Amino acid sequence: MASELTTESYISHHLTNLTCGKTAEGWTCNPYKVDQMGFWAFHVDSLFWSIGLGALFVFVFRKAISKNSDASVAPSGMQNFVEMSIEFVEDNVQSLFGSVKNTLIAPLALTVFVWILLMNLMDLVPVDFLPVLAGHVAYAIAGDAVEWIKGPESLYFKVVPTTDPNITLGMAFGIFILTIYYSITVKGLKAFVAELTLHPFGKYMIPINFVLEMVNFIAKPISLGLRLFGNLYAGEMIFILIALMLFFSSIPIGVLGFGLHLVWALFHILIVALQAFIFMALTIAYLAMAHETEEH
Amino acid sequence: MNINATLIAQAIVMIVFVAICWRYIYPPILSVMKEREKRISDGLEAAKKADDSLEEAKLAFDKELNQAKTEAAEILDKANARASQIVSDAASKAETEAEKILTAASTTIENETNKAKEELRQQMSDIIIDTTQKILGDEISKEKHEEILKKAAEEL
Repeated sequence: MASELTTESYISHHLTNLTCGKTAEGWTCNPYKVDQMGFWAFHVDSLFWSIGLGALFVFVFRKAISKNSDASVAPSGMQNFVEMSIEFVEDNVQSLFGSVKNTLIAPLALTVFVWILLMNLMDLVPVDFLPVLAGHVAYAIAGDAVEWIKGPESLYFKVVPTTDPNITLGMAFGIFILTIYYSITVKGLKAFVAELTLHPFGKYMIPINFVLEMVNFIAKPISLGLRLFGNLYAGEMIFILIALMLFFSSIPIGVLGFGLHLVWALFHILIVALQAFIFMALTIAYLAMAHETEEH
Repeated sequence: MNINATLIAQAIVMIVFVAICWRYIYPPILSVMKEREKRISDGLEAAKKADDSLEEAKLAFDKELNQAKTEAAEILDKANARASQIVSDAASKAETEAEKILTAASTTIENETNKAKEELRQQMSDIIIDTTQKILGDEISKEKHEEILKKAAEEL
């Protein structure tokens, strides 16, 4: 794409995922055939970073365990960070979940929080750095053998998984399933159905109640996923726009762009942590609602 | 930006990671943290106990010390009293002894004096009689003038 680099192509290049899927000719990652892939396509870059960062989370926390297996030794280094995050999650679960005993909630909240935090943090890596690196690596390995890799810059590679709605909605979907599971097992199927159909207008308006409650019920995971996606997508977009300032090849605008990048990156650290926290807090809250048995 | 199978893949990945965290990460860390917390609170309690017992020991020590001090003072007082008693006893004994010696000496002196006087008197009367015999011849004899001599001796 380097040959016809315009503002528009630069932006769309940064906002397009590396997609692999099945077409009529078989599996391919050719960006020009995305339209033929249909539903059964995968955003390889999003999944790569998502799995990689999840593995990093598991690796770091596992390492902390092997270090802290002796309770008589004072914790140090990474172990302090690990224990701090666990304490933080435990506090939040305690305050939102109260007395209900469910051993899954805290590990779920911890995973969601640390994982999303790590994925969001990828936003702070300069926008062109990893895509270009990946493009060069792919070009060096595959070279001209693969027809759709025309040059180092032709590879689509999105670095921040949480700017992909598939990732955020996928997580929200997982939590949604858990919500339904616990609603049925804790409250019982009858109470769960009653909750969806007998409010707010009583038993003679069941269809209307059901429609209203269903909207309410389904809006939760969708808003959960889209909130995270929207915040990070907007943040990424602004990083891309700031990076675009370098296109004008004028020193004052470049310096201004550098300053703006710094300011936005500092501000974005807040968003990164805040969105991870909000996702975690809402996860706990939704699951707490699934455990609430009293009528409201 | 299409919604596609990535969503399902991510949901599965999430389930896997949450399961790993649930089974292998969270419980061991939490249990160690709980254990350490307990250890720390136990340690603090033990420290507090040790502090208390130290305080107690200090109090006991002070009490013992004070008692020892008063005892020592008592013993000292007693010793002082006894010493002064001994000194005064010795002094009075010495005084009486001195008096005794003094009286003995003075009686001896008196006796000696009396004895000397008696001797002197004897000699004196002997000399007088001798001289008078020489002057008067044999007219005077000791035996004859016994009475006169005695009188004279008494006058001396």
